[in-house]
Amino acid sequence: MSRSIVIVFPQWSLHHGQLGEEHSFRIFEHVVRSVMSVAPLVEVESVGVIAIAARGPSRYFGGDTAVAEKLHHLCEQANTNTSWGIGIAHSRFAATVAAHVSVGRQRPCVIDPAISEEFLRAVPVGSLAQVGGISADTVGLLQRLGLRTCGDVYVIGEVALIDRFGTEGKQIFRLVSGAEVRHLAPGAPPSDFATSIEFETPLSSAAHVVAHTRLCIDAMASAISSAGQQCTRLLIVSETDHAEHNSRIWAEPRGFTAAAIAQRVSVQSEGWLSQVDTDPDAPTSGVVRVQFTPLECREVLVTQPLLWGGHQENTERASRAVSMALASSGAVHITVPQWEGGRDVATVYSRLPVSLVDLGDAVAAEQRVEVGHGAARHWSGSVPQPSPALVAVQAPSVRVTDAHSQPVVVTGRHELSSTPAFVYVAEKQYNVLRTAGPWPVEERWWDPLRRRRHVRMQLLVSRAHGSQLVFLVALEHQQWSLIGRYD
Amino acid sequence: MGHHLVAELSGKHSAFLETGTQFAERTRQRELTGFGPLVVANALAPLFVSGGLERGHIYGVTGDASMSLLFALVASATQQGSWFAMVNMPTAGLMAAHENGVALQRTVCVDVDASGGHMSNVLGSLVDGIDLVAVRSPQCSGAEVRRITARVKAQGSVLLVVGSAAAFSPDAVLVAHTQQWQFNTHAASRTVNVTAQGRRLHAQRSCAVVLPHCLGGVSGAA
Repeated sequence: MSRSIVIVFPQWSLHHGQLGEEHSFRIFEHVVRSVMSVAPLVEVESVGVIAIAARGPSRYFGGDTAVAEKLHHLCEQANTNTSWGIGIAHSRFAATVAAHVSVGRQRPCVIDPAISEEFLRAVPVGSLAQVGGISADTVGLLQRLGLRTCGDVYVIGEVALIDRFGTEGKQIFRLVSGAEVRHLAPGAPPSDFATSIEFETPLSSAAHVVAHTRLCIDAMASAISSAGQQCTRLLIVSETDHAEHNSRIWAEPRGFTAAAIAQRVSVQSEGWLSQVDTDPDAPTSGVVRVQFTPLECREVLVTQPLLWGGHQENTERASRAVSMALASSGAVHITVPQWEGGRDVATVYSRLPVSLVDLGDAVAAEQRVEVGHGAARHWSGSVPQPSPALVAVQAPSVRVTDAHSQPVVVTGRHELSSTPAFVYVAEKQYNVLRTAGPWPVEERWWDPLRRRRHVRMQLLVSRAHGSQLVFLVALEHQQWSLIGRYD
Repeated sequence: MGHHLVAELSGKHSAFLETGTQFAERTRQRELTGFGPLVVANALAPLFVSGGLERGHIYGVTGDASMSLLFALVASATQQGSWFAMVNMPTAGLMAAHENGVALQRTVCVDVDASGGHMSNVLGSLVDGIDLVAVRSPQCSGAEVRRITARVKAQGSVLLVVGSAAAFSPDAVLVAHTQQWQFNTHAASRTVNVTAQGRRLHAQRSCAVVLPHCLGGVSGAA
């Protein structure tokens, strides 16, 4: 067990992500730089989450509370316009939970070693998915089994968990028992894939460092993927001519690609090399050596959610993207389809504002769009399948005439008065080749106020250069309108 | 002299050309890491070099069957868990999308005020997390287009521009032309000729498909 400090900015992407992940990383770098005045080695778990080993800083500043206060001031000075939380506890998982608790309180949450066990046992089991990296499906199963807190899960025991969930079960037990899954030890054993590159001349710009390390990064990334693995945590150390070091641990739960590693190198060296001269840590020379040490690699299969039938990660990314799009501009309106049924082609699916639904809830989403859910699947008088790919929101009026330019009407017995020969859409004439229908609809004939009577027809028309189109037209109150097009 | 030239050329270029096996190896690697192309229906696979929609690419979709083609292109990927966003397509027939096999539970419809210059921010945010983003005739300046293109490439999503591509320069343009409608008791099915051409393709690729099919989905034309 090792005490950890975790700083979280839960709303970071929402407040600083409008210009993309790259940009929000670069802004976050300022915060990371200021936190590095407390501890030389920090881990950036993702944008908005920083982890530090507590032991060193806590001794130096005289206790956990003092470090927490110091970090709180640093975050305040960084002036990020977004809320943050600082948690200190005896494991990474517990510290992250504590940090999320502290967001609401506006002051650091330090879990005393005496109550750390008790704290961890009381954590709700949903946190395993939210901050522990356990899949939502597994956590959902635990909840359905009636296990509400991490304490309940702990009581089950490691053997039973591994029996049921395999490696994930082992991971769960480590989290709930407070054992460390990720060590922040600088002296970690070197990985097989560790590599380093040295430059002949010191490089003083981040762009040059990235350009010169790119081949080395590509080689490492392909070596890792050839072994059927992907790297999820990576230590990057850069070193100057004057033996100054800058090290940082980066994490990427989806696995690092070569491009992602290059981006991290760019962010890390830019922050370091462009430091103001007043900073005592500022390098006095260019970078001559960059070292990559993968700290954690795992089999590729573990994170292939599609193979296991779950789409949770895609869904999380999508709902994040949707909330970002909503935040990026006031003039945007986002909806999701909902099955309504009925005979009207335009309103078979209605559009529900996304603010009313939880995009992450896959079961509710399935129910929302299921054909025939809560309403009849087939309606008499509905237009036969396939449905038109373009439907009018406000159907434009059209004219349908026969060969003698007389308007075509429908009799009380739903018979056409004459054969349609031409249809005029926005004063453009189309020749009618074939017709289908008419399909009459009499709705609510018992209600004099709401009753509605109309017919629909399909018209196969040809354009001037001979290509064929199919229109779906409706006649209501002696007026034809174009309600759909088979685009 | 001719021999020299050939030897020189082959010596110079052999490092940059990749053999079929190397290409197969490279694509397999990408699929393993989850960055392979997004699958499309078998009938449409001949349009693409790698058999699917390449991540990070921009596709133009035009022709008189463009909406049906759009639904047919995204259907398989959405069934396998990818999300799909339709930007500024209030007239898209959702029932037709469902019949073509689009997973509507993973579909969002986005309407943006086209005049205010919000388009690039909204499209940029969407491509960050949604694999398939379709937009109808976007009004963007050259700078906005470059920014969106860069984000599509960085995030590995696919942007489909329906109708006029405007300032976008698509990697491939897919054109769907109606050949023939099967029209007996009603409009039942239609043969469509789809061609693909663009700077990423060495030659024009084309295929004939039945779209929409009376049973839903897309199938190859006999």
